[in-house]
Amino acid sequence: MLSEAETKLLGIMMMVIMLGMGASLTFRDFLIAFKKPKGVLVGLLCQYGIMPFLGYLLAVLLGMPPALAVGVILMGCMPGGTTSNIFTYFSKGALALSIMMTSVSTLVAVVAVPSLIAFYSKLAGVSGEFAIPAANVAQVLVVLLVPTVIGMILRKTNPNIGATIELVGSMLGVFVILFLIGSWVPRNYQLLMTTPWPVFFAAIGLGLFGMLLGYWLARLLKQDNNRSRTISLETGIQNGPLAVLIVTITFKGELQQQVLLIPVLYSLFIVLTSSVITLWFRKNATREALARDSAKVGAAVSA
Amino acid sequence: MKADMPIYDTRPWEAAYGSAIARELPLPRYRNLAELAASACERYTEKKAFTAVVPNGMNGSLTYRQVGELSDAFAGYLREVCKLQAGDRVAVQLPNSLTYPVVALGVFKAGCVLVNTNPLYTASEMVHQFNDSGANVLVIVDMFADKLAEVIPKTNIQRVVLSGVSEMFPAIPNAIVRGVQKVWSQVLPPIPPLSIPVERIKTALASGKAHQSKAMGYWKDVPSSAVAALQYTGGTTGVSKGAMLTHANLMSNVDMVLAMGKSHHGSDECVLTALPLYHIFAFTANLLSFFELGGHNILIPSPRPVQNLQRAIENYPITWITGVNTLFNGLMNEEWFTAFPPKHLKAAIAGGTALHHAVAERWQKITGTRIAEGFGLTECSPVVTFNTLVGKVRSDSIGVPVPGTEVRLVNDENMPVPHGEPGELIVRGPQVMKGYWNRPEDTVSILKDGWLYTGDVAVMDADGYFKIVDRKKDLVLVSGFNVYPNEIEDALAKMDAVLEAAVVGVPDANSGEAVRAYIVKNPEFAGELTKDMVVAHCKSLLTDYKIPKSIIFRDELPKSPIGKILRKDLKAEVKAEFNK
Repeated sequence: MLSEAETKLLGIMMMVIMLGMGASLTFRDFLIAFKKPKGVLVGLLCQYGIMPFLGYLLAVLLGMPPALAVGVILMGCMPGGTTSNIFTYFSKGALALSIMMTSVSTLVAVVAVPSLIAFYSKLAGVSGEFAIPAANVAQVLVVLLVPTVIGMILRKTNPNIGATIELVGSMLGVFVILFLIGSWVPRNYQLLMTTPWPVFFAAIGLGLFGMLLGYWLARLLKQDNNRSRTISLETGIQNGPLAVLIVTITFKGELQQQVLLIPVLYSLFIVLTSSVITLWFRKNATREALARDSAKVGAAVSA
Repeated sequence: MKADMPIYDTRPWEAAYGSAIARELPLPRYRNLAELAASACERYTEKKAFTAVVPNGMNGSLTYRQVGELSDAFAGYLREVCKLQAGDRVAVQLPNSLTYPVVALGVFKAGCVLVNTNPLYTASEMVHQFNDSGANVLVIVDMFADKLAEVIPKTNIQRVVLSGVSEMFPAIPNAIVRGVQKVWSQVLPPIPPLSIPVERIKTALASGKAHQSKAMGYWKDVPSSAVAALQYTGGTTGVSKGAMLTHANLMSNVDMVLAMGKSHHGSDECVLTALPLYHIFAFTANLLSFFELGGHNILIPSPRPVQNLQRAIENYPITWITGVNTLFNGLMNEEWFTAFPPKHLKAAIAGGTALHHAVAERWQKITGTRIAEGFGLTECSPVVTFNTLVGKVRSDSIGVPVPGTEVRLVNDENMPVPHGEPGELIVRGPQVMKGYWNRPEDTVSILKDGWLYTGDVAVMDADGYFKIVDRKKDLVLVSGFNVYPNEIEDALAKMDAVLEAAVVGVPDANSGEAVRAYIVKNPEFAGELTKDMVVAHCKSLLTDYKIPKSIIFRDELPKSPIGKILRKDLKAEVKAEFNK
């Protein structure tokens, strides 16, 4: 399990990450998103429609014990992670849409996440000492909204500080995962060696299937290729550190150790899977851009 | 001749000035641009003069006092460290950044001559411009320092000063912007080893600081008739030549621009400078005019994609925007702009290329302000005519001549054409250049009896508003940049596979006009000749905007009996094609 100091550090880092996310936003961005809400709505549907159900499905189909089931369901119910913005940038996706989806899903999370966790936990038959109290989740999320709003205000009052925090926050998003890997993996080496394959399957599959289904649903709802790729990354990439934080606040001792397994493994593998997917998306985006260009030149030549 | 010309000499356009615009220019207030700058710095001291904003919103600012001190230091550096004399040329190759005004005003304060150079120029274009102007010192943005290895040995440049885009930003944002440029976008090449001294602007300013107090001594005897800038513009002969703009030329054009906008000036103007300052339009209309006015210039290093302007427009109370058709159109295709157009905006100024009717109308609808279209050319510092900001909106018109400017329309016999008939627009006024640098024949062919022959054919309506109907010269106007067909044809002819080529302009929705090349393949050449090969070849020799956007292969080109390629026949083809 994580020590008291590590849990605190994790909490502080989450605060900075959310400060950074806030600094990437303006109040105008929200107003614009609400004026033309289709993209964000499709994103929300993927985020809170596909992912929690996928988490539940994996837990049930793989016949997971309650401690692991609650981990995979919790992971599925998380809002979008801020690292998705970096991957979207690298994949030449719709960055504005990605930032908007991350922030709207984080806002909605205050209401959506506690109820989704409660609903799917009950459905999967997880109860008693394994249940995550809704109040815990809501509390963490509300606390995280404070730095988000402060970030937005900073951006407005001092763009230099705002942009610096935005950068620091997004880099910290990656650092936190490295921190988890560095502090958790060595101590649980034995545990990892004895972890059965279905756990790995769930931890990797949640992100991978989420991206696949997110892409298909977005295409089905008439989003173009580029936006669909963005929604795909956004759907698959969950806020792993947030799940870890909620687990460490809720559970103690041996139980925490078990529940943490999937969120940590997910955070570890999502960096790898989304890197591969990003490279692939980037190739497609470049190819499409070239095709568009030559279509234009062709039109000019034949005009 | 005199009896035929009253129509233009009675200045029928003065009625359009109304009560808002003075009929005559104010008397000259300054000896030269250095005094104009020094006076503004004294008047506005702690007001912000310039803020450079990069796409993520990071920024740096200089107050009028700081600009005054730093430009004095740069003048000291040029005179004492570089040992330049009054009249020596300094080439400046910078994107919009805080360094630009410091260096440009510093050059004036040193009594030297500014040679504005497009940072995107290729090595061969740089070599031509530096040799033609005889520049001794070059200030260049570090992003393109790799070109120096090829350029410097072929020129007379004695010293190079490097500057970054985020120069003079606060330390942390500067470090982040540089870090991102270096590691992420990899646009900071290593500085090649050169046989001449190379230093960063910070070092240059530090060494000039000791001589800061001497600056006034350098400029106080520079007469207003001295050349202030060599502003390069393409030539009909294919080489670009330097228009000699004097201090008086530029200062009078500043007064003309200010006179046209006076009705809309308050005490705190904030102008968005997305157009490059090395281009004469932004140089006069944004840098000089708003400096004299005590305005706040928001400098955008790279306005493309147009999204790069978002933070600047959100964070500063923009009251004026200068732009070209492409920029206005681009802004109106951005959701963040149309949802929240700048609420302090008073007016927008368009130039460079024809403003589309639809763009102007939509702009008015979205922002509630009008775009005043003007007309000008490098040789006129640049403004010649302008639409007024009050009264009726006249679309498709280039407006009325600015105060203090005489305009006539003449026929091929140099006789003024009757009212309502098309004729070549000729200009006389204090903004008209002294001539082309070291090119007396070219000067004589464009400047006669103080009249500058623009090569543009226009008509004047009953109220004295002008409208451009055609261009006499063959130049192609790509997003406000002059492209001279000869230069492109010369470049194409260097390909072994090309027998001959002709270049004309075609209408283009984005850039106003685009370059089209008609190419005849060399039958002696064994290999294949594709459009991609032509484009790749052009890219090695020409700046992007000069590269043909469409390429057509022909078996032969239309020619006159003596074998001269008839561009006008190709133009007629293009006209027929696009009028379908």
